[in-house]
Amino acid sequence: LPVWAMASLSEEVLLVVKKVRQRKQDGTLYLMAERIAWGPEGKDRFTVSHLYSDIRCQKISPDGKAKIQLQLVLHTGDSTTFHFANESTALKDRDAAKELLQQLLPKFKKKANKELEEKNRMLQEDPVLFQLYKDLVVSQVISAEEFWANRLGGMNNGEPATCNKQEVGISGAFLVSTSNMIHNYFMLPYDSFENVKKKKLLHFKGLHVFALQADIRPQTDGCNGLRYNLTADIIESIFRTYPAVKQKYSENVPHNLTEKEFWTRFFQSHYFHRDRINTGSQDIFSECAKQDEKGLKSLVTQGVKNPLVDLLSLEDKTLDEGYGISKALPSTSNANKSVKESSNSAIIKRFNHHSAMVLAAGSRKGDVPTDQASETSSTDGNSRDSDFFQPPLKKVKLQEAIEYEDLQRENTPKTVALNLKKSDRYAHGPVPLQSQQYTTSQDIINSVGYIQQEMANYKPNLTRVLSSTTATSAIAALSPGGVLMQPVGQQSIHQMVPNDIQGELKHLYIAAGELLRHFWSCFPVNTPFLEEKVTKMKTNLERFQLTKLRPFQEKIQRQYLSANLTGHLEDMFQSAYNKFHIWQTRRMMRKT
Amino acid sequence: MASEDELNLLVIVVDVNPIWWGQQGQREPEFTLCKCLDAIMVMGNSHMAMTRTNRLAVIASHCQDSHFLYPSKTWKSGDSGGDEISSSRDGKYELLAVANNLIAEEIKNIMTKTEVTGNSTDTLMAGSLAKALCFGQEMKSRILVIKAADDCALQYMNFMNVIFAAQKQNILIDACVLDSDSGLLQQACDITGGLYLKIPQKVALAQYLLWVFLPDSEQRSQLVLPQPAHVDYRAACFCHRNLIEIGYVCSVCLSIFCNFSPICTTC
Repeated sequence: LPVWAMASLSEEVLLVVKKVRQRKQDGTLYLMAERIAWGPEGKDRFTVSHLYSDIRCQKISPDGKAKIQLQLVLHTGDSTTFHFANESTALKDRDAAKELLQQLLPKFKKKANKELEEKNRMLQEDPVLFQLYKDLVVSQVISAEEFWANRLGGMNNGEPATCNKQEVGISGAFLVSTSNMIHNYFMLPYDSFENVKKKKLLHFKGLHVFALQADIRPQTDGCNGLRYNLTADIIESIFRTYPAVKQKYSENVPHNLTEKEFWTRFFQSHYFHRDRINTGSQDIFSECAKQDEKGLKSLVTQGVKNPLVDLLSLEDKTLDEGYGISKALPSTSNANKSVKESSNSAIIKRFNHHSAMVLAAGSRKGDVPTDQASETSSTDGNSRDSDFFQPPLKKVKLQEAIEYEDLQRENTPKTVALNLKKSDRYAHGPVPLQSQQYTTSQDIINSVGYIQQEMANYKPNLTRVLSSTTATSAIAALSPGGVLMQPVGQQSIHQMVPNDIQGELKHLYIAAGELLRHFWSCFPVNTPFLEEKVTKMKTNLERFQLTKLRPFQEKIQRQYLSANLTGHLEDMFQSAYNKFHIWQTRRMMRKT
Repeated sequence: MASEDELNLLVIVVDVNPIWWGQQGQREPEFTLCKCLDAIMVMGNSHMAMTRTNRLAVIASHCQDSHFLYPSKTWKSGDSGGDEISSSRDGKYELLAVANNLIAEEIKNIMTKTEVTGNSTDTLMAGSLAKALCFGQEMKSRILVIKAADDCALQYMNFMNVIFAAQKQNILIDACVLDSDSGLLQQACDITGGLYLKIPQKVALAQYLLWVFLPDSEQRSQLVLPQPAHVDYRAACFCHRNLIEIGYVCSVCLSIFCNFSPICTTC
């Protein structure tokens, strides 16, 4: 069956597997550049097609089983199972498919997941945004893409990632755990080793306990079978920390060795084992060991950049017998070292090197460039170029040591003085002019004289403050219905409108505001993209008015609320339409 | 439930603008400053008589300065000051008698020493309010303003600062206005949660004071009192002093204009 008959457009087909059954039907499996598809035998079309970005993970049937299967689990939760039915090559087929998928899925997975995750997170964190989303997208006033267009920043539109994603660091323990496993293995009998198996990766104070699933198996005899799981994370950690290993990987896989073989050799090699006794064998990793040695030596010669730290003064000095190992002289010549000492120093060397590599990998941004010559950082000791000029670090370090930030005098923000030409305006503020009574100086003198006279003879007479008639008239004015008690009808509007209507109105305002903001931000319209957008936004506004505003108005009318709650919203929409109309007529005139 | 020991302070700020009161005395002899002060004394006595923990302060707001009528400078917290004040002869609660006497003495002193110059005819209301705020720092307090003369526009800034300070300290400002409405006081009452009332009958001042302003804020929620009126918060533009609804604000000096102009005339 010619493949091109079924593939759409110019999809590149990466792998074709015949005799794959799906739902008890024979067919062929196709792995393409962006999706995986399966078509039944004799038919012209794909019945099953999944984009790699939709696939959450793949599962394979355990090796002992009769049926050799591969299952794809989608993000939605659905799963599709393929049964490889070619008697002779089923296993090989399945594994080929699986490996290809393993390489392809991560590329697509990250993008889709991250986006969805980000969107979900944003919606969960901000209830206002969530409500806006419900109002606008779920009711199909605007599409989801438009909604997210301005919000996701570097996610959409292929913009360079301006969002500051933090790079995940490397766990320093990723190889230690493997070493531990081996060490433990050799100490314990086989059964208790099996007991250590756990199904998931556990984090426990930096110690990783491996999950075990059949993936890589070294060629060993029966009772010393080791099973490890190399997850993609660990592989990535290894590559980032040890660029030499990555180099070896890219050199040898897939031409000389399969991935499985590579890792097997890796774990078997003395390079990996704790006792690195250089045997100079045909081990492909012996070169790596030599490289590491070189790197370590250059690291040591570089020393520490901090002038306040003197590493050389740190030594294993012993005080006396009983305070540690008592030695006559610290011996540095190799010849006198016992085997134990040399293996100890080897381990310490390896630990130091490993830590240095982990730190270096963390400070290196992104992938290690394939062109090693371009790397100028010397943190891993493997740089090719010499260090460039470094600013005088000593001064900086000294400064840091003697000054405390919070003891400094507080830097008050620099303020600019306000320069007012007419400062008397501030005296009266935004208060309207009121006609003031003009009092002549004569009036003033008269009044003051009068009051002085009156007060000179003041004697409080508290028993005659109020007559009963004045009191009763005052009380009448203050009683309900009186002059001072305003009628109920003039209650403020927020007491008259029920709370749910108020809430709905608020949502309407938020949603309308969002749409109007998009609309108005299109002006001035000077690109074709903006032209399109402004037209689209106008239709969106109209749709919103129709689907959301009108029903709301009808609802409040039905409830006999006389208040005009939507007048302002209508005004806003109308001014937007007017603006659009003006712009459109101008455009027409320009074209003619 | 306020604790038994919590003091409640009422500060009455009386506008004793001599020009206005002089004119008022000539216009309406039945309601003079003396009558006004009597009504205020009744209010003050009632307040102090309500509970033991109520305290009173009276400030006279004059053209030249603001003056504490009560308590006088010799007042020690809690006890009444002088024994030289004549003891009450009518069996009145001594505290009230002392207060009344002090108030009367002080106001007489102030008014007789009045020297008013032509250019300061406005009541220093903002200053009095500020003093009231400072006095009521340590206890739960509220301010009642009895306003007579017109607003002074020049005190606008100080007034607004005082209002916001009161709001921050949760101090209520009530206003009882005798003559013309005061926009500033309306805003003050609205912002701080107090009551604004322009009384139709000046002679019935005591009744209004007792009915509306004697209960404190917790008790007011249980009573039927005049509803707060709608406050016109519109600002006036700086160029014409007209009230505007939509305006242009300079981002540097925050002055408001009714027309757009690229250069701000204030700064």
